[in-house]
Amino acid sequence: MGFKRFIIIFVLFVVFFAAIYPGQAQNSAGRASDVQLLARAINGEARGEPYEGQVAVGAVILNRVKDSRFPNSIAGVIYQPGAFTAVSDGQINVPIDPNSTVVKAAQDALNGWDPTYGCLYYWNPATATSKWIWSRQVVTKIGKHYFGK
Amino acid sequence: MEYDEKEYIMENHARRRGSVRGTETGEPGYHARNKAKNVVIAILALTTLFGAWQHHRAVLLRRQLDAQYNRAFYEMTGYIQDMEVLLSKAMLTSSPQKAADILKDIWHRAELVSTNLGQLPVEQGTLVNTQKFISQVGDYAKTLNGQNVKGQVMSKDQMDTIKNLHQFAVSLNENLDKFHGELSAGTMKWENLAGDGARLFSKTDVKVPQSISNIDGTFEEMPTLIYDGPFSEHMTNQKALGLSGENISEDQAIEKLGSLFGKENIRNIQKVSDNKNGVIDTYNFRFELEGKKEESVAEADVSVVGGKVVWFLYNRDVGDVELDIDKAKEIGKQFLEKSGFKSMKDTYYTEQQGVATINYAYMQDGVIVYPDLVKVKIALDNGEVVGFESKGYLMSHQERSIPEPAITEAEALQRVARKENIVSSGLAIIPTDYGKELFCYEFKGKLDDQDFLVYINAMTGEEEDILLIINSEEGILTM
Repeated sequence: MGFKRFIIIFVLFVVFFAAIYPGQAQNSAGRASDVQLLARAINGEARGEPYEGQVAVGAVILNRVKDSRFPNSIAGVIYQPGAFTAVSDGQINVPIDPNSTVVKAAQDALNGWDPTYGCLYYWNPATATSKWIWSRQVVTKIGKHYFGK
Repeated sequence: MEYDEKEYIMENHARRRGSVRGTETGEPGYHARNKAKNVVIAILALTTLFGAWQHHRAVLLRRQLDAQYNRAFYEMTGYIQDMEVLLSKAMLTSSPQKAADILKDIWHRAELVSTNLGQLPVEQGTLVNTQKFISQVGDYAKTLNGQNVKGQVMSKDQMDTIKNLHQFAVSLNENLDKFHGELSAGTMKWENLAGDGARLFSKTDVKVPQSISNIDGTFEEMPTLIYDGPFSEHMTNQKALGLSGENISEDQAIEKLGSLFGKENIRNIQKVSDNKNGVIDTYNFRFELEGKKEESVAEADVSVVGGKVVWFLYNRDVGDVELDIDKAKEIGKQFLEKSGFKSMKDTYYTEQQGVATINYAYMQDGVIVYPDLVKVKIALDNGEVVGFESKGYLMSHQERSIPEPAITEAEALQRVARKENIVSSGLAIIPTDYGKELFCYEFKGKLDDQDFLVYINAMTGEEEDILLIINSEEGILTM
C-alpha cells in the first residue's frame, strides 16, 4: 500500500513538471527559404484570418523590407526584437505543410499582391493598447486587424 | 509527573514498533497521516530546488541575451562613428576616384549599422527615424559613388547635403554617447526597454526612457532627401498614373465585378471596407464564386477612381494538372482583354501547386513596357482564373511618347560584353528602383547554360541592367 501511494505521488510529480515546462514547439530540420520563413510568420500571426488577411501580413513584412525605417531583409524584419508576437511566443517555429494556405499566401505576397497598399503596421483593435500604434493612419481593415502606415 | 511522562513515551515507542493498523495504537490513520506529511515535505523540498535551478537558468539566459544586445549596440555605435569620419573626409577630397572609395565605405558601414540596429530590443517606433537616416545616408552614398566612379565630381548641392548629413551624424553620436553612459553605469538595462515582446502583465504603454527617445529625436529637423535611390523621399509619395475618370459608387463597383466574372456566378457579395489613405482608394469586397470546382470565398478590390479591379484572389484547392502553360497564357490574355487591358504580352511565369502566375507587360509600338505590369493566376486543373493583380499597371501606365533611339541596334550590340552569345533583341522600357524609367535595347543571350538579359540604354548606350534568367521547376524567374 505504501508503494502504491508512492507511485501516485510520483505520477503527480511528473505531471506537475510537464505542466510547468513551457510548450516546446517542434524545430524543423532544413534551411528556411524566404517563402518558408514568410509562411511561418504568416502562420504565427494570421492563422485563422481570411486569405486576404494572410497575404496582407506577408505584404506588410515585404513593405518593411523596402522601407528605409526597417531592416533590409525578410529575416531582419521578422526577427527584429518585439516586432512580431509569433517570434516571442514561438509560433514562428511551428513547421508548416508545403501545401498549406499560408504558403500560397506567402507566394502571392512575394509575387506582388498587396491588399494593404503599402502598409507597414497592423494591430488588433480589440487588444492593442499601445498609444503609438493607434497613432498610425489606418488604411484598411481585414479580418480582425487594422492595417496602417 | 516524570513517571507519567516516561510511561507515555514508552507507550508511544511500543505503539510505533507494533502493528500499524490502528487497532492497538488507538488512533486510526495516525501512521498514514505521518507518512503523507513526510511526502508533502519531500515534494516541497524538490519543488524549491527545481525553482532555484530554473531561476539560475533564467539568469544565465538573461546574461547571454544582454551580451547579444550589448554586442549589437557597440558594433552599431562603432560603425556610426566611422560614418561620421568618412562623411567628413568626403567633403575634403577633390579626386572623384578617392571620393568614390569613401562613399562606398559609407554605404558599407550604413548596411552594418542597419543590421545591428535591427537587433536592438526597443519598442516599435522608437528608433525608426534613426533607421531611416542610416538607410538614406547609405543609399545616397551609393548613388553618389556610382556617379564618382564614372569620374563625375560632386556638385555644390551634393556637397552641401553631405555637410548636412555629417552634422546629423555628429549629433547622433553625441546622443548615442549619453545612452551609452547610462548603459555602462548600470542605470539602463536592456530589459527596461521591453522590446522583447515578453511583457507578462503590461496592458499599458511602456514608457520609453528619455535617453533612447533623444537618439531618435536627433532627426526632428531632418530635411527631406530626394535623389535617385529607392529610399529617397520621393518614392513614398507616388501617385497612380494609370487611374483616371470619375469616382464610382459601390453599386457600380459590384457591377464591374459582375461583368468580369459573370453576374450569375457571384453570390453573397458584401463590401468589407473602404480603403483610404493608401496609394489607391478602393472598395474591398468578399463574395462567393460559383465555379466549376467548388464554392469558395473570393476577395477583390475595385478602385474608387475609374472603377478598375486592382486585385482579385480566390483561394481554393487545386486538382490534378490538366492544362499546360501555353494554354494558361491564352486564358490569361483573354481575361485581360475582357478586363480592359489591351496590347499585353506575357513575359515571365511561375508554377506553384498547380497554379500558374503569369506576368504580362504592356506593348506600345513594339516596345515592351515592363513597368505596366499585370499578373494573372490560372488554376491548371480547369483553367479558372483564381488571381489577378494590376497595381503595377495602374501606378505607372500612361501613353508614353517613345522617342526614336539615339543609337542603332548594331551600335548597342557593340556595348554588350557577350555579343557573340546574343540570341534575340528588342526594345523595352524598364523600371528603376528610384521611380525613373529607362528606354533600352533588350538583348537576350545564353552563356554556357545561363540565360541572361542585358539592357543597353537606347539614348546613351550605357549598360543599365543585367538580369539572369533562372529556369527552375517553379517556372521562369529573373534575378
